[in-house]
Amino acid sequence: MIKIIANICFIGSLTAFAVGTLGLYKLPDPYSRLHGMGIGDTLGVGFFGLGLLFLSPNWIIRIKIMVCLFLFWVINPTMTHLIAKSGLIHGTKPTEGTKVIKE
Amino acid sequence: MFGFLLIFWIVISGKADIQHVFVGALLSLLIVLFWREDLFSRLPGTPNIKELLYLGHFILLLVGYIIQANISLAKTLLFSDPPAKPVFMVLEPSVESDWGRALLATCITITPGTVSVDVDPETGRFIVHALTEKTGIDLLHWRLINVIHKIEASAKGE
Repeated sequence: MIKIIANICFIGSLTAFAVGTLGLYKLPDPYSRLHGMGIGDTLGVGFFGLGLLFLSPNWIIRIKIMVCLFLFWVINPTMTHLIAKSGLIHGTKPTEGTKVIKE
Repeated sequence: MFGFLLIFWIVISGKADIQHVFVGALLSLLIVLFWREDLFSRLPGTPNIKELLYLGHFILLLVGYIIQANISLAKTLLFSDPPAKPVFMVLEPSVESDWGRALLATCITITPGTVSVDVDPETGRFIVHALTEKTGIDLLHWRLINVIHKIEASAKGE
């Protein structure tokens, strides 16, 4: 039963990564493509980690997986922010029709 | 912070013998000494129970927003043609602390559909890239910003 639940999680993870990869092809500029991978980075990695937690033989490994997931969810947005910021600093142009809205 | 780093080291190494604890303690001490002025002085102090409750509420809200954003972004990518009409948003969420700004910027980026591109350390102004106009405007009504305000007020003792 646990293997079935874990496999469902892995399929969910695969689907999330597939949708995210589709975003890489469909979205028009580098800034937008960062959003595409966001699905894989949150839902994809989350489902994958959940599946691994179900299959883990003991709590030490479960805690390690949770620490890895936490670190991933802290480091990943930082790197995404750095890529977007370096794009802005180096003059990467967004796609035509991109609006600017001020609060 | 020393304790946190040492526990992290022991959990990741998976062993608690004298060699691992000694090396972990030494490295944790060196990291704390090296970063004590530049980084650790900017971190918030030890949270009280009220702040921990706010933090729990914050995490629940964030998980809710991430799930909603994932569904919305998947629909946009799969069914919309063209899939995006991106916008740059300029936000002024009036978050005053460094850790509050870092937390908000991280949460904006981890939520699919929005990426924080820049944060002005002087004014606290955020530049956010959103995949659709609706996603960007929804950020203005984010309840997470209110919770960060509450945690900041609690940390100041108000």
